[in-house]
Amino acid sequence: MSHLLAFMLCLAGFAALAFAMRRHQRDVLGGPLPPPKTYALRVAGGAALLSALGILVTQQGWSLGLVSFSGHASITAGIVYCALAGYMRIRAGALGVYPPERKT
Amino acid sequence: MTAADDDLPAPRGIRQSMASLHTWAGLLLGWILYAMFLTGTVSYFKDELSQWMRPELRRLAQIPDQAVVAQRIADELGKVAAGTSRWSMRLPDARNNSVAAFWLTPTRDAGQRAFGDAYFDPATGRKVASRDTLGGDFFYRFHFQFHYMPVVWGRWLAGAAAMFMLVAIVSGVITHKKIFVDFFTFRWRKGQRSWLDAHNALSVFGLPFHFMITYTGLVTLMALYMPWGERVAFKTPAERQQLAAELSGFIQPGRPSGQKVPLASVADMVRQAQERWGQDNVGRVNAVHPGDAAARVAVTRGEVGRVSLSPQYMEFDGTTGKLLTVRESVGAAAETRGVLYALHLGRFSDLETRWLYFLVSFMGTAMVGTGLVMWTVKRRQKLPDPDHPHFGFRLVERLNIASIAGLSVAMTAFLWANRLLPHALENRADWEIHAFFIVWLLTLLHALLRPAKSAWIEQLWAASALLFLLPVLNTLTTQRPFWHSLSEADWVFVGMDIMCWALALLHAVLAIRTARQRAGGRSRRDIDRRAPNIIASGEVG
Repeated sequence: MSHLLAFMLCLAGFAALAFAMRRHQRDVLGGPLPPPKTYALRVAGGAALLSALGILVTQQGWSLGLVSFSGHASITAGIVYCALAGYMRIRAGALGVYPPERKT
Repeated sequence: MTAADDDLPAPRGIRQSMASLHTWAGLLLGWILYAMFLTGTVSYFKDELSQWMRPELRRLAQIPDQAVVAQRIADELGKVAAGTSRWSMRLPDARNNSVAAFWLTPTRDAGQRAFGDAYFDPATGRKVASRDTLGGDFFYRFHFQFHYMPVVWGRWLAGAAAMFMLVAIVSGVITHKKIFVDFFTFRWRKGQRSWLDAHNALSVFGLPFHFMITYTGLVTLMALYMPWGERVAFKTPAERQQLAAELSGFIQPGRPSGQKVPLASVADMVRQAQERWGQDNVGRVNAVHPGDAAARVAVTRGEVGRVSLSPQYMEFDGTTGKLLTVRESVGAAAETRGVLYALHLGRFSDLETRWLYFLVSFMGTAMVGTGLVMWTVKRRQKLPDPDHPHFGFRLVERLNIASIAGLSVAMTAFLWANRLLPHALENRADWEIHAFFIVWLLTLLHALLRPAKSAWIEQLWAASALLFLLPVLNTLTTQRPFWHSLSEADWVFVGMDIMCWALALLHAVLAIRTARQRAGGRSRRDIDRRAPNIIASGEVG
């Protein structure tokens, strides 16, 4: 049970962190969010990840908890990543264009 | 990096140096690393794979009482291995449906040691008549010592590869300067840029795991790589024995008395261990001089739920059944090793954690794979004559095909051989392994003879087809088809079939994408335009 909860928290956490980044705000939402919202997303994302770690460590102890957390973090970051990439792909397909490369 | 060198006559910064180091350290042992990663990844399900490869062994609907089983097998070993000076058995647990036992065979020759081993049915105590196979242990052993070469050479090679991996990880992190800015970034249809994004994501998301697994991998074999400290510290055989006892649950035999005394109740000993560690949490039962007045029995704790491989065991007097000692802790250094070792193997995991291990390790495999492919993607743009690339480029390209797509074909072929080779074949287990290598060699030949693109596509399709049809083959050759496993809730067999189909799908998608790329000329121009940019940014794979 703690696995499922930690997994969902990590997933939400990384999603929040992704949306706290300007590149993804622009790509998905069409423009940057106001700074307070960005800041709130960043804090919420960090808090979600930390609480996932807290849950796993209290349920499974430090050794097992850290191992599980590392696994959940890797997988959920990958899922958020694939979701963003997939979304961009579908949208680009629907519009028939790819977004211009941003100068970095 | 030659092009970059021309562009940048100024002294190279640390990122550029690290980029070349990353490229060449990664390439040099990349093929070996890929094979180590993939075979290591599937080894997280080694026990399940072994169950699948021995379909004659019945599934255990529930774990039998380990105390009863231990007694049953101990009695049987008294007959099968009569007169042995030691035997050891692994009791059935949630992941093992048989009892694996080995024993020292008594020989007249004092200098020679020979082992016998067998699998026993926990319900009847008889040896199981299953096909001769190494099971999942083949991939597991190949993962750190390869095959067809002395074990020590293989382990040294694996150690060298792991060192290169460490270098690649550290240099990769330094090279990848936009690690946080680009954290979730993937840019479609940008050729080399897309490959780099994918490679970065696979590396960064799994970074804690990749670093841990490489470092702990070296720790598992540290006594081989760096024996000097141990040699200086422990000079006498007695000290060495003590070291061995500290690191393993195998008690050291004293001298036999020569007086025959039957072994006390093994079941009672295991029951005491069950009371201490939990009903299904007994690992092994090891006996020395069974049947002699000097007999000793050690019952070791299982590995589930504790992140340490340091041995914990209860030692009993073999004739009276009296508890002599309980060992539940080791020194700090030994415990550090125990924890790092356990982290690498992940045997403490529950099912969820095991899947996390598997998936992140799979990401690591893909990381090495994308890195290898990127070496060619990056250089193809700069070839003076793309239709006739130079020898080095062709070599890397062909080796990539055989070591990535070819390995998928070969590993699946190993499982096909397990189902197809006749049971009566002599050295059958060896022939399964030969089949693996023969097929792998054939994929290399195929890669050398065909145009690179076609070779990729054909081998990926071959892997996909073999994987997709493996459950069909299983249906035809065993009594355990998919629907039967499903109705019996036999999750090992169900999971195996589903994994085969999932991996078949993955290979099909890769094959289709590779095939499509042939038509796309647009992205190529795009890359040419951007190439100087990428090089200047120092982010080269």
